[in-house]
Amino acid sequence: MSKNTSLSRRTALKGLAAGLVAGPGFVRYAQAQASAPIRIGFQAHRTGIGAAYGRWYERTTSAAVKAINAAGGIGGRPIEIVVEDDGTDPARGAEVVAKFASQHKVDLVYGTLFSHVVAGSAPTAGELKIPYYVVSEGYHIASGKMNRWCLQPGITDVRAQVTSVAPWIAGNLGKKVTMIFPDYAFGYDHRDYLPAALEKAGANVVAKIAIPPTESSFTRYFPQIPADTEVLYHVMVGPAVLTFVKELGEFYGSGGPQLFGFIDSLEAVDINSPGLEFLNGSHFWEGSPRYAQANDSEAQKAYRAAVGIDDNGASVNDAKDISTAAHMFGCWETLYVIKQAMEAAGYRGPEDRQKLVEATEAITTVAEGPEHPQGDKVFDGRIHQVFGHQNISKLEGGRLNVVHRTSIEDGRYEPEADYTTQSF
Amino acid sequence: MSAGRRIALAALAPAACLPAGQALAHASQRGYVLLLPTGYYLAGGALAVAASFAALALLNPRRLQNLLGLRLPLGRVPDRWRFAASLASFLLLAVLVAAGFLGSRDPLSNPLPLVVWSLLWVGLTIVQGVFGNLWRWLDPWYAPWRMLSPWAGRAPLKPPAWLGCWPAVALFLAFVWFELIDPAPDDPYRLAVAVGLYWLATFAAMLALGHAEWSRRGEFLSVFFGLIARLGMVERTPDGRLLLALPGGKLAGAPALSLPAMTLLLVALASVSFDGLSQTFFWLGLNGVNPLELPGRTALTGINGVGLALACLLLGGLFLLCVWLGERMGGGERTLPAAGLLVWSIAPIALAYHVAHYLTVLLVDAQYALVAISDPFSRGWNLFGTAYMPVRAAVAAGSDAAWTIWNVQAAAIVGGHVVAVVAAHLLAARLHPCRRAALVSQVPLNALMIAYTVFGLWLLSSPAAG
Repeated sequence: MSKNTSLSRRTALKGLAAGLVAGPGFVRYAQAQASAPIRIGFQAHRTGIGAAYGRWYERTTSAAVKAINAAGGIGGRPIEIVVEDDGTDPARGAEVVAKFASQHKVDLVYGTLFSHVVAGSAPTAGELKIPYYVVSEGYHIASGKMNRWCLQPGITDVRAQVTSVAPWIAGNLGKKVTMIFPDYAFGYDHRDYLPAALEKAGANVVAKIAIPPTESSFTRYFPQIPADTEVLYHVMVGPAVLTFVKELGEFYGSGGPQLFGFIDSLEAVDINSPGLEFLNGSHFWEGSPRYAQANDSEAQKAYRAAVGIDDNGASVNDAKDISTAAHMFGCWETLYVIKQAMEAAGYRGPEDRQKLVEATEAITTVAEGPEHPQGDKVFDGRIHQVFGHQNISKLEGGRLNVVHRTSIEDGRYEPEADYTTQSF
Repeated sequence: MSAGRRIALAALAPAACLPAGQALAHASQRGYVLLLPTGYYLAGGALAVAASFAALALLNPRRLQNLLGLRLPLGRVPDRWRFAASLASFLLLAVLVAAGFLGSRDPLSNPLPLVVWSLLWVGLTIVQGVFGNLWRWLDPWYAPWRMLSPWAGRAPLKPPAWLGCWPAVALFLAFVWFELIDPAPDDPYRLAVAVGLYWLATFAAMLALGHAEWSRRGEFLSVFFGLIARLGMVERTPDGRLLLALPGGKLAGAPALSLPAMTLLLVALASVSFDGLSQTFFWLGLNGVNPLELPGRTALTGINGVGLALACLLLGGLFLLCVWLGERMGGGERTLPAAGLLVWSIAPIALAYHVAHYLTVLLVDAQYALVAISDPFSRGWNLFGTAYMPVRAAVAAGSDAAWTIWNVQAAAIVGGHVVAVVAAHLLAARLHPCRRAALVSQVPLNALMIAYTVFGLWLLSSPAAG
């Protein structure tokens, strides 16, 4: 188990040492010693608004690189991660991609989370013709608005997430749904894609309540929730989430509709925090479960141990350091997709970047296992987007228990683009 | 629409035109503070500061002066240690700058940004304010200057008297801009360039003008740290004896500050106040910026640059207005000399804001600094045995930590203002021999301090991004 959380040359060296001593990749690595490492530029949110996520993306990346290197690296070559902080700033994101391509001469760029940084960086990746693997969950890649060099092979996009939970909500919580969401792009993904998916499942949205992003008190919005609402679908984010839940509890007392939320609201936050009591018994979407589940696969257990999270989804070094479990698995899985695609393409160096993108596009399915502990997935090369199972968890007894796992098909939608028709 | 707002919206445009986006602005420590009864703290803080003023009105300033004049001998530190300490500091700085160029690109793994921003700027300022002028010993120019200056103490050039310490003010403003407004002050390479150039330029100035002269006039850290050290509880006499004083005790004998030194102190408070304000939903909403999807520092450069300048002007203006009003009410005539003396009462507030504002950064980044310093060039070294120390990045997370941190912050803000009120009382007595006049003259400045207490607590308890 790794207790080292710093992603630097130290980590890489330590990982290699482990491989040399005990890893099954010893022979392969030894044969390839003359080969230069695969250099991956990690565009990290080390500072700025995304720093809490960036920390866990860094830890997961560190753990995955260590595991891959210990098993012989990629095609016998070790991975070397070059970290650049983008400050969660789209303008700096573009600069960082340019720096990776021209200064650090990395093979590819990887790891971006925030949508606006992806949007700011993607044009530069396209211009410089460098593969750009994001772990963002945004619909930006799949929408076709980026370019052929941008891929999201490790985490399902938000449109698919929203679409996939609708049948379960309709079948289990209620048919009349009121949506309450922040009044900007993140909220709009839910506003735009949930209603159709619900209707298909025989339910409907009875009200959409958009909350201004600068709002910090919510009581005056609650009377807008129709009285016949059976399910309140909430996706509030930001520091006022705790206040939102507390005021909702005060508004409804012990009753009220069923609640369904996205864990994005409470990523990296202790679910047992004061103020969140009203959420008890409610349901959440989770990409990968925060809490260890009774039926966790061996791969899931190994992944959690490697990243260093305990059964409550907190750091093994600090029970208060709650992970971003629902999203960060995407880093682990993306690195393994990169490995798979590089080995399939016979990747040698930057001259093979186009081959790498084509090899990624050619992937159709990935099997569940140590490389993909979140589950099996389908990759749609046309829209450069992966689709996986989603988890619906119930908050009970102070923990989130998975009560339903969606099928991959639940989240599929008709592609709106085809990157493979674009020239490089 | 303001220019700044246009910039922000232009930067948001690429994201906004997309059909999708995700925002992972998370319920940070501030989310827990929003649940606390902070309104009572605001009212209580204002009352505490007002009550301090009322209590002081009953106290003879002379008795207060006597009390603050108490000293307890602590020992002796000979001046010859200064050379060795400075040399060690210089060598450490050289290693750090080299690490900035050659070490990790990650600002949380490279020791340069961590040491400069967390340990030097955040940490040493607090040490200076609580203890005294440690910077005099850590100054990384003194030893090299002693070794290389062919004039050793005799400078070839003498700056004109009118220059005062305005160069230090200008450099301090540049420093503040770099820290708060520049898009990437944490970038190890850029910071290494900035620190390296600043060290060289300062060294050249010291060779030309003398170490002591430029430390008083142009080297902004020496000037700023010197001012803050007046609050510290340790005093060193010219013959090397160390004396323990009460907090603020050294203010009793403080000389009136020049206009540039006064400006520097006010900028110190205004800038840290503005940094807090710039993260609030209030400020972001005012400028049409979505706090849940902050466009990043680049897009906010214009808005925050203007805001910072306005904050400095506003605080400076308010302070001078209060001093002018107070002097009129107390029968004094000369505002600027009075302001030069009374501005010392701003120093404890600046220190209090500094502590409150940077507390969480210090708690987390100091740990990263400890890790990074063991392996400055990311070579797998473990020089001090801390390279693999787990960083408890969540030390400030969760409801318990939020409660503790909020209370420490509130105590710092209120405590700082109470010390400020005491200092103003003492300094006003020096301006006005008549007790009544001295008391009346303090009313406007005390009103400003009460308002600033409330403002400081509001800054720390209102919704903020990040």
